[in-house]
Amino acid sequence: MAKQKIKIEGEAWGSDRVRADRTDELYKDIPEGDTLMSIENLRVVYQTDEKETVAVDDFTIDVKKGELISIVGPSGCGKTTILRCIAGLLQPTSGKVMIGDHECSSPGSDRGMVFQDFALFPWRSVRHNVEFGMEVAGVSKEERRERAERYIKAVGLEKFADSRIHELSGGMKQRVGIARALVMHPAVILMDEPFGALDAQTRNIMQDQLTKIITHSERTIIFVTHSVDEALYLSDRVIILTKRPSTIYKIVEVPWDRPRDRTDPEFIETRRKILNYLEEQNVMD
Amino acid sequence: MVFKYDEHNKYHRMVRGGIIIAVSLFVFLMIWWAISVIANNAAIPDPWETFGALADLIQHGDIVTGKSLGDYISASLSKFIQGFLLALVIALPIGLLLGNFKFLREFVSPWIEVLRPIAPIAWAPIFILLFGYINGATLVVFIGIFFPLLTNIIFGVTKIDPVLIDASKTLGASNLQIFSKVLIPSTVPYLMNGIKVGLGIGWMCIVAAELYATPLGGIGFYVANMITYGAFPQAFAGIIIIAVLGLMTTGLAEYVSKKVSKRMGLDA
Repeated sequence: MAKQKIKIEGEAWGSDRVRADRTDELYKDIPEGDTLMSIENLRVVYQTDEKETVAVDDFTIDVKKGELISIVGPSGCGKTTILRCIAGLLQPTSGKVMIGDHECSSPGSDRGMVFQDFALFPWRSVRHNVEFGMEVAGVSKEERRERAERYIKAVGLEKFADSRIHELSGGMKQRVGIARALVMHPAVILMDEPFGALDAQTRNIMQDQLTKIITHSERTIIFVTHSVDEALYLSDRVIILTKRPSTIYKIVEVPWDRPRDRTDPEFIETRRKILNYLEEQNVMD
Repeated sequence: MVFKYDEHNKYHRMVRGGIIIAVSLFVFLMIWWAISVIANNAAIPDPWETFGALADLIQHGDIVTGKSLGDYISASLSKFIQGFLLALVIALPIGLLLGNFKFLREFVSPWIEVLRPIAPIAWAPIFILLFGYINGATLVVFIGIFFPLLTNIIFGVTKIDPVLIDASKTLGASNLQIFSKVLIPSTVPYLMNGIKVGLGIGWMCIVAAELYATPLGGIGFYVANMITYGAFPQAFAGIIIIAVLGLMTTGLAEYVSKKVSKRMGLDA
């Protein structure tokens, strides 16, 4: 049992951080459906003064190019911890994350992230929030503006391009968050309960919008949610985690075309199956 | 027609506010007048004598030194502005550094805690002795503004939402870019708050420092000088000028900080 403290990423001045725009093009030779990202034996141990807690243990999965996988699990399990490790915001105790043959040890623009509480810059307008990543990557002003415009339109916020963040509703804020991640064309997009802070109706609208976006442009997405319904509605595969320590309990393939019908008997049946898996987790506790 | 006050009408609210201030000031003058009558002491002139002296000061300047009111005000303001700019230029980098590096902050904060509670005016005799009348007074202002600025900037840097740092990392920002594009803008509202507090204290400091009979000096000197001549209405007129200028400075700071906070999206 490795006894190691959690270390937050700390490379000097972020010099080796991936900063490039359009990192998805680095992996364009990988055909759709082949493995783009592999997560190998991820293990996270939290060390406190008295004891150590194994939050994630032996989490291994290959993410195929162009698929959306979602991670569900009993509340309090290490869903977000896993996602933060993939993002490089948290250094795992052991294990590694690879995109192609590049090992991801620190955060970078090749793994775009959408946060549950939006994480938008309040002093920037919608447009300048979306432009942030391109700005730090050194994209020219004209191109920045043109691309930001396109993505703001794609998420339906063209009337609010120059609005300040506090003038927007929750759903609109998250659309900015999504546009900000998408516009960078990262190799993989990580979404940490992106619709968790929204009301049920807005949530459904956002799920439909995300469905549209992923059917129009090929994106590889890892989606963390506590909603089985959402996972089933959006993803190609649903990963069900065990309770602490989190490891993969079951993987459910979802082969249906999008948009999906929540009232379809097969949908309901599969949802019941996944809920049963989660229930088993709670019983085992 | 019966007048009805409407809370949602902007002009009604303005008129209401205006009336309250006018009545409040009137009552204030009455209390002042009552005190001067009861005390019956030359050191407490009544409001009307004071306003006479004020009108005189504005029209003819200082009868003793022959200086105009404008000379005094500009002498005070120039020291005030220099002290403020000096405090800003020094507190900003130090605050950002201390906010950013925990060890440095832990190491330096005992110094700050020892120096901060010292009334700035206590430094005046030493500063004036060391740096002369004008620079000494400027440094007293500097001390008065420096500490509220510094502590507010440090607080602002440590209070930054860590998720914003995470977001900038996943968007590829280097630590230097995070510093300039995320940390500094998010500190601005706290900086403005520090300026607001600092200006109030700084203005008190300049007048207090000038009371040390700065021969080249400002409105504080005028007040002190008039008292030595026993010209109390004139001294009180000087105090009123100090109050008005102080109100104007803090009002301006309040206005600017509100605008800036709104622009930075952090007050909504």
